[in-house]
Amino acid sequence: MSLEKLLENPRIWRGSSRPGAQSGLASGYPKLDRCLPGGGWPLGALTEILIGQHGIGELRLLMPALAQLSAEETPAYTGEYTEPGWIAWVAPPFQPYAPALQQHGIDLSRMLIVRPKDDSELLWSAEQALSSGTCAAVLLWPDKLDDQASRRLQLAAEKGHSWAIAFRPLAARQQASAAALRLELQFTGQGTCVHVLKSRGGRPTVLNDLL
Amino acid sequence: MIVEEQHGIHRVLLADAAARAAGVMAGLSANAALALLPTLKLEERNPVREQQVLERLASWLERFSSFVSIADRNLLLLEIAGSLNLFGGLQSLRQTIVRDLGMLGFSAAVAIAPTPLAATWLARSGRRICIRATENLGPALRRLPLTCLHWPSGQRELLTGMGITAIGDCLRLPREGFARRFGAERLLDLDRALGHLPDPRDSWRAPERFCADYEMTEEQSDRELLLNICRELLLSHEQFLLARQLGTQSLCFSFFHLKSTATELRLGAALADRSASRWFELLKIRFEALRLPEPVIAVRLRSGLSQPLLAETARLSFSHKAEKQKHRYSIAQLAERLVARIGDHSVHALTMVAEHRPEYAWCARNPLSDWTASTLTMLTDTRRPLWMLPEPALLPADSGYPLHRGCRLTLLDGPERLETGWWDEGNVSRDYYTALSGAGMRLWVFRNRQRTPDWYLHGIFG
Repeated sequence: MSLEKLLENPRIWRGSSRPGAQSGLASGYPKLDRCLPGGGWPLGALTEILIGQHGIGELRLLMPALAQLSAEETPAYTGEYTEPGWIAWVAPPFQPYAPALQQHGIDLSRMLIVRPKDDSELLWSAEQALSSGTCAAVLLWPDKLDDQASRRLQLAAEKGHSWAIAFRPLAARQQASAAALRLELQFTGQGTCVHVLKSRGGRPTVLNDLL
Repeated sequence: MIVEEQHGIHRVLLADAAARAAGVMAGLSANAALALLPTLKLEERNPVREQQVLERLASWLERFSSFVSIADRNLLLLEIAGSLNLFGGLQSLRQTIVRDLGMLGFSAAVAIAPTPLAATWLARSGRRICIRATENLGPALRRLPLTCLHWPSGQRELLTGMGITAIGDCLRLPREGFARRFGAERLLDLDRALGHLPDPRDSWRAPERFCADYEMTEEQSDRELLLNICRELLLSHEQFLLARQLGTQSLCFSFFHLKSTATELRLGAALADRSASRWFELLKIRFEALRLPEPVIAVRLRSGLSQPLLAETARLSFSHKAEKQKHRYSIAQLAERLVARIGDHSVHALTMVAEHRPEYAWCARNPLSDWTASTLTMLTDTRRPLWMLPEPALLPADSGYPLHRGCRLTLLDGPERLETGWWDEGNVSRDYYTALSGAGMRLWVFRNRQRTPDWYLHGIFG
C-alpha cells in the first residue's frame, strides 16, 4: 500500500488537518497567522497569554486585531446589521491609556473598563461580558485561574461568540487549561519571541523576534 | 410672619394675630415691622414649596372632578358640572370640598361660575357667589372691581384715571376703541369670562407612580420565597406601566420587619424600562448581597418617576440570526448588571481630553449616562504607552542614568519635551524618553526639569 493511499483512510488523523472551515481573526502579524489554525486568532474561544511581567509586548501583539474588532460595523458573512463590538478590560494591572489606544486605531467609545474587587467578581464580570454578546473581546488579568474557571470562560466565549483573552503568569504553564490557544511571551535579549504552547487543531511552535 | 422681596424691599405678606395686634400689617416693609415689634420672627416666602403644595392639592382634588387645572400660583380650577350627581348637588359638593380642605389645614375662597375666568375673578374678589346659568353671569361680573382681573398695573391705572373701576364700566365702552387702546387680549379676556368665547384649559395630571404591598401571614426568611414575592410585585408593576405606556428608571423595594426598621433595596437602570424580567435579573444580583437583619413580614415595591415609553417595533427578519440575537443584551444592560454587582465606580468607559499633560489627556466617563463618542483626536504624533501608571513612580539613578529593578535602562528614543500647565497648579516641565529595561519592557520615563532632575517612570508600552 502506498503512503498516499494510507493517508486517504479516514481513520487516520493528522495534526495539521483543520477542523471545519472556522476562520480566525487576522492578528496583523503574518508570521503568527501562518502558525495558527484558521489563519488568525480563534474567536468564540479562550486565548491564554503567559507573561513573565507586564509590558513585554503582550498588548502590542493584540492591538491590530482589537482595532479591527472595535471598528467592525457589519460582519461580512451576514448582510444584517449587528452592533459593533465593545472591548471589555477586566481588572487591568494599570490604567489603559486612551490616547495610546487611539493611536493604535481603536475606537475609544467602545471601551469598557471593569475593576472588580476580588477574583470571584472578576470571573463573574468576565463571564457576563463574554456571554452578553455585546463584547467582541474581553481582556482579563486574573490572579488565579483554575481548570474549572478556564472551562467556564471558554463556554461563555462560545455562547456569546466573543473572544476571551486571559493574561497569566509563567507559572500557569504547568496547569491544565481549557483554552483553545495558549501563547507564552519571552524576552530574549534582541526581541520578544512567542511560543505557541497549545493550539486547538494546530501544532506547538516557536516564533523568534516576532515583536 | 412671612415676608417676600418686592423691588428689593422685603415686605410683610402674612402676619399672625400677635403681630397684627402690634400694628404689623401686610404690605409693611420688614424693617418697619421690626421697629414695631423687635421680637418678630421673619420667614422668607418659598415659591417652590408653595408650588409643591399646590400640586399635592391638585392631585388630592382629582377625587372630586376628572378635570383639575393649576391656573395660577394660588389658584386651582375644577370642572364640577360632571360631578354634581355623584356628590349630591352643588351645595353638598361645595361644602364637602371646603370641609375636607379645612381638615387638611387649608382655607379656600371658593367661587362657582360657568366659565373659568369668571370663577377666577369672583374667587379673587372674595365673594362667595355661586352662578349656575350663563345669563346670570353678566350682572354678577359687572359689579366686580378691576383689581380682581390682575391686568398689568399700568393699564389699570389708566382705566382708573378714566373713571373706570368695575368690569361693567369696561363693558359699556365701545369695543373697537377699547381693543385699540388696551389691546385685543383684554377684550378677549372679557369675552371669555362672559362665555362668548371658549376658554380651554390644560388638565393637570398627577405623575403616576406604582406602589404595592405584599403582606404575609407570618414572618419569612426564606430568600427564595422572598424573591418570588418580588417577582410577583414586578409583574403587577409591569402591568401597571403597560396600561399607561410608561416606563421607569428606578425602583425601590422595602422589606419590613417586625422589630427593626425596614431594609431598602434600590435599583437603577440606564434606560427607562418596565419589563419585569429585566428588573428581576437586576434584583437577583443585588438581592444576593442584601443582608436582612430579621425575617420579613411584608414587601413593598415603589417605582420612581415614570416616563412615556414607546414599544419598539420588532424587525422582520427571515434569517436564523435573529433567533440568536434575542439573547443579546445591549451594552447598557451589561453595564447595569456589572454596576449592580460590583459598584458604581468600578465600571467606566474612556474618553479623550484636549490636554498636553499626559496624565490629564484622558478621563473616565460613566457608561450608563452619556453615550456621546468623543471625536477628539490625539494632539501629538509621538507614540504614547498603552499602560499608564496612576502616579509617576520615582526611579533610582546611577550616575545620572535611571535604573529599573536594579538594571540600567537603555534610552531608545527622545527626548520629547513637555513644558505646559503654568496656568494652574500642575505646572510640568519634563523630558520624556522611551527606554528598554533589562527584562525586555519598553518603558516611558521622564526626567524632571524643575527642581531636582529626578527620573520617573510614567508608562509602559505593553
